[in-house]
Amino acid sequence: MESVEWREVTFHYPDAAAPALSSVSLSVRAGEFVVLGGPTGSGKTTLLRLLKREVSPGGRMSGRVLLGDIPIEQLQPRDAAASIGLVMQHPDNQLVVDTVEHELSFGMENLGMPRSLMRRRMAEVTGFFGIEQLLSRQVDGLSGGQKQTVNLASVLMLQPRVLLLDEPLAQLDPLAAREVTGMVKRLNEEWGITVIMSEHRLDELLPLADRLIRMENGTVVFDGAPRAFAAEAWRGQDPAWLESLPIVTRWALAHSEDASVEPPLSVKEARQLTGEGLPKASTVAREQPQASSETASPQPEHPPQASSAGTSAVLGTAAPLLAADGLFYAYSKQDPAVVHGLRWTIRPGDRIALFGGNGSGKSTLLQLLAGLRKPQRGEVKLGGQKLSRLADAALYARIGYLAQNPLLHYAHDTLLEDLLHAAARAGAVRPQEEAERIADRMGLFKLLGRHPHDLSGGERQLGALALLLLGRPQLLLLDEPTKGVDALAKARLARHLDDAHRDGATLVMATHDVEFAASFASRCSLLFNGEIIADDVPEAFFRGNLFYATPLHRLLHGRSAEGGLPYQAASSTEGTR
Amino acid sequence: MSDGFGVRALHPAVLLLYYAGGIAFGMLLFHPLILLCGWGACLIFNVHLDGGRSWRSWAMPMLVMFLFLLVINPLVSHRGRTVWFYLGDLSITMESVAYGATMALFLLGLLTLFVSYRIVVTEHKFLYLFAKLSPRAALLVMMASGMVPRLRRRLTELMLVQRARGITVTTGSLAARARNGIRLVASLLAWTLEDSLQTADSMQARGYGTGPRSAYTVFVFRQRDGWTAAGLLLAAAAILVLWQQGHGYLNIYPRLEPLALDAGDCGTLAAYLVYLLLPLVGEWRDRRAWRALNGAK
Repeated sequence: MESVEWREVTFHYPDAAAPALSSVSLSVRAGEFVVLGGPTGSGKTTLLRLLKREVSPGGRMSGRVLLGDIPIEQLQPRDAAASIGLVMQHPDNQLVVDTVEHELSFGMENLGMPRSLMRRRMAEVTGFFGIEQLLSRQVDGLSGGQKQTVNLASVLMLQPRVLLLDEPLAQLDPLAAREVTGMVKRLNEEWGITVIMSEHRLDELLPLADRLIRMENGTVVFDGAPRAFAAEAWRGQDPAWLESLPIVTRWALAHSEDASVEPPLSVKEARQLTGEGLPKASTVAREQPQASSETASPQPEHPPQASSAGTSAVLGTAAPLLAADGLFYAYSKQDPAVVHGLRWTIRPGDRIALFGGNGSGKSTLLQLLAGLRKPQRGEVKLGGQKLSRLADAALYARIGYLAQNPLLHYAHDTLLEDLLHAAARAGAVRPQEEAERIADRMGLFKLLGRHPHDLSGGERQLGALALLLLGRPQLLLLDEPTKGVDALAKARLARHLDDAHRDGATLVMATHDVEFAASFASRCSLLFNGEIIADDVPEAFFRGNLFYATPLHRLLHGRSAEGGLPYQAASSTEGTR
Repeated sequence: MSDGFGVRALHPAVLLLYYAGGIAFGMLLFHPLILLCGWGACLIFNVHLDGGRSWRSWAMPMLVMFLFLLVINPLVSHRGRTVWFYLGDLSITMESVAYGATMALFLLGLLTLFVSYRIVVTEHKFLYLFAKLSPRAALLVMMASGMVPRLRRRLTELMLVQRARGITVTTGSLAARARNGIRLVASLLAWTLEDSLQTADSMQARGYGTGPRSAYTVFVFRQRDGWTAAGLLLAAAAILVLWQQGHGYLNIYPRLEPLALDAGDCGTLAAYLVYLLLPLVGEWRDRRAWRALNGAK
């Protein structure tokens, strides 16, 4: 009844040479949890949107899309809107009205439901999601995860039979992403809703999915169980496929002597496997922490070593590039302080990854360090000079700040114009040449004439980075640069950051992406409760952590992650493009 | 305090009636003493709602306006028989001074009433009433009020980041600031426009435009609303009847009547005060219930 089928679907966007989808035939059974993987531009979104006819793209289509046995264009408008629910990527942009309650009732009002039914649905769905206490809140004041939960709930008010999710986790931090994933899984299991979800990062989803479909260039290249996908990817050794496997799976398969082993998809399964038959790991198995101070405590809330910031010997004693002392900042008199009494030093040549929970003030701290915000107490010194004494132009020439949303950096109609202005401001003699040179270096040359809004997420990011690099800053502060970009774009970003570092820039990156940080950073810091409470080299930082740790560190908890897969493995795929 | 307590718990329709009457009677009962008492009642109303905090924050502009009206009317209007003195060749009459004072009192009372309106009639309640008249317009209002905080937040973010690029409205020549300001607003609009395409998709996806909309409403007309409405209407009827018979207002031009209130005026005043303070009965009752509850502990 509720099954979904694409029958020989071919789709051309207007003016596009190649089809976005070429004769795709797929069917999804009622109640299945299907994850749709594949690189950007492989046709995932097109496939999903062709099923949701209200938002279907314009273009030439052949073949049929069926819900049950009925072609979707024959459904009644209200039935079509209600039966198929869609949640998209950006939590903000899907919210239509002002309060959570209005937002949740929006869809039901559109369908002209009677009030008693609306109220019952409201009670049920808010109860299921546990968001009753949010009802009277303004949607703008919610966190990203809460917003996405509200989006999901407001779609469920219509009791859809099929739920389409188009990269719903890309803009969320890992914790919120896990929460939303959990909700989706529960809906699938408890309510029997068919779920089709597209996503870049598959490692959290593989263990949950019934089925994985991988798309490339508008065709389906894999369709089967997640475990079969892992085995297939390992057999093929195609880097783009391997990229989408969880790192523990890759590690376990790489260290397994038996090639026919069932690929583990989670830390738990990998551990069971290491317990059984992975010789290398079993020889170093040390379940009990030793009495040495090094592996002092396994609890994540007690970070190992270097509890007072910046005192660890490994961090060197070079003169600091940037030093913060006794920083205190609150957004207003009523609000609690975001940072209080923070001390931190950044030395020339550092590559720092700054961790911290959601809303722990990482962004605020970066903005304070960049001189964009003025602390209420305390001072930030750049090479011994107080930031507050430096003129704006001199300050921003030396410190570059990359905001979480790269769009914030653009102010003109084309990328070239923006680059020209930035080059002129940096004092370039020939701005045109400078702008073209950096665009060429970042692989943006063909995009120079584009409007910043017409760039993809990863391209926007690189463009904003180019704007900053034109000023040749000594210090680059990056706020979650890997958020919402796919593996390929991430690898590219890593390469350009490497280049910038080689050119003498010191890098500080606030991030949730532990794996990226583990390969990128020379130093990891943890912001908690307004202070830097851990600050050390990555190996020492991750060892003993369970939460702020890569899955690999979790697997090898307390042991060294020798033979781990460095992130640079991903950069090797770069050349294939 | 929550929406379930005292005056705030009244049905939006009753509140709308109350404020409509409050404004209308302020205009009808043009007598400085009655208006002064009315202002006092409005002030009491405000004090009950939030201890007069919001009123205090408006007090300064209100005072300025009050004094302004007091001074300006005698200066521009020279009607009236009783000339007090000449300012240059301007005649300052007792009548125009009295008129200015009454006018100033009227506006003071009106603004005080509006301060309480802002506390009591939240957007929610306003929308509820509005949605009955035109669901489409109500949706527009809801979307707009959802948009405002978003735009404000984005503009702050944009200004923060763009300052580092030298695009700022706080430094530089006036022309440069204006240019930069336009640039910032243009970026904000481009950004918002881009995002609104997705918002439109999200609306369509949830069935917007598939037929007539219904309204999810949360306000129930309770017994107390009925009693309050009846009381208000009764008081309003009394005021209107008395006013019809010539009570409750002062003839200022051409010659000022004596200020003293006769029996009819007093009756009008009493009805007016009952009208203004009636919704507080529920408030008092609820407070007593609270005290009893806390005392019993």
